[in-house]
Amino acid sequence: MEGGWPLLGPLQWVRYVKKQVKVKVGRNEEVRGWLFTVDPVSASMVLVDFMESEGTLVQVVMGHAVEEVQVLKEPDRKIADRLQSMFLPPRTSILDP
Amino acid sequence: SLSTSAASESDADELQKEQQARSVLRENFLRCLLSAASKNVQFNMYEKVKMEAKFGACDIDVLNFQVSDLHTPIGVQKEALIRSQDVISFTFEI
Amino acid sequence: VSRRSTAAPPCERPGERRVAEMKKLYGKDAAKILAMEAAMQLTFDRNCDLKQPKYWPVIPLKL
Repeated sequence: MEGGWPLLGPLQWVRYVKKQVKVKVGRNEEVRGWLFTVDPVSASMVLVDFMESEGTLVQVVMGHAVEEVQVLKEPDRKIADRLQSMFLPPRTSILDP
Repeated sequence: SLSTSAASESDADELQKEQQARSVLRENFLRCLLSAASKNVQFNMYEKVKMEAKFGACDIDVLNFQVSDLHTPIGVQKEALIRSQDVISFTFEI
Repeated sequence: VSRRSTAAPPCERPGERRVAEMKKLYGKDAAKILAMEAAMQLTFDRNCDLKQPKYWPVIPLKL
């Protein structure tokens, strides 16, 4: 994808969700992470990075700053599960089937 | 006719799929923003400005971020609003 | 007896248009999203009332 990220729309954005992506932002900057979601209002991307020892790094990239999105990797089962349960209130993540 | 009703059926199907996708994406985004409340957030702004602040809230159109203890390049501002158009990205840990 | 001078339909209440728009965007989940947004906006508005934050920078970095 090159240019026009905010114009893609929900059905296109979901195709990138849960994949590891490389995003070109602003001028010559680049961020990487697993795409958790895309805000349909602002086209902002939420990328997460599961760090070795401690917590999880969350990066929100504003939709207007996105220059290019490239898919790097598909998630394995473990990553997909972690992404699925992110930000859920504790009781929901335990009780949901 | 048969063909037009089939077409309108698949249009309705497509619309429903899009609504469903939009709902999931939006709900997850709102949850993410809610989880940022009271956390230390690093803002990566245009013009190479980097700042740290305690995240408060955001309006639903994602135009403004309300933060506290904003460490600007020229000192600390106790209570501040940041325009999302000035922001490239922001980062926090959970 | 009041007389309506505007062209607005007589029975449209405030917020109804927004509900209709949300319904179009989010379908059957509209009520849930609307409720989440309302809660978030309320927090934002309340914090702004309470803390009176000022814009930083005063002039937008990116015009």
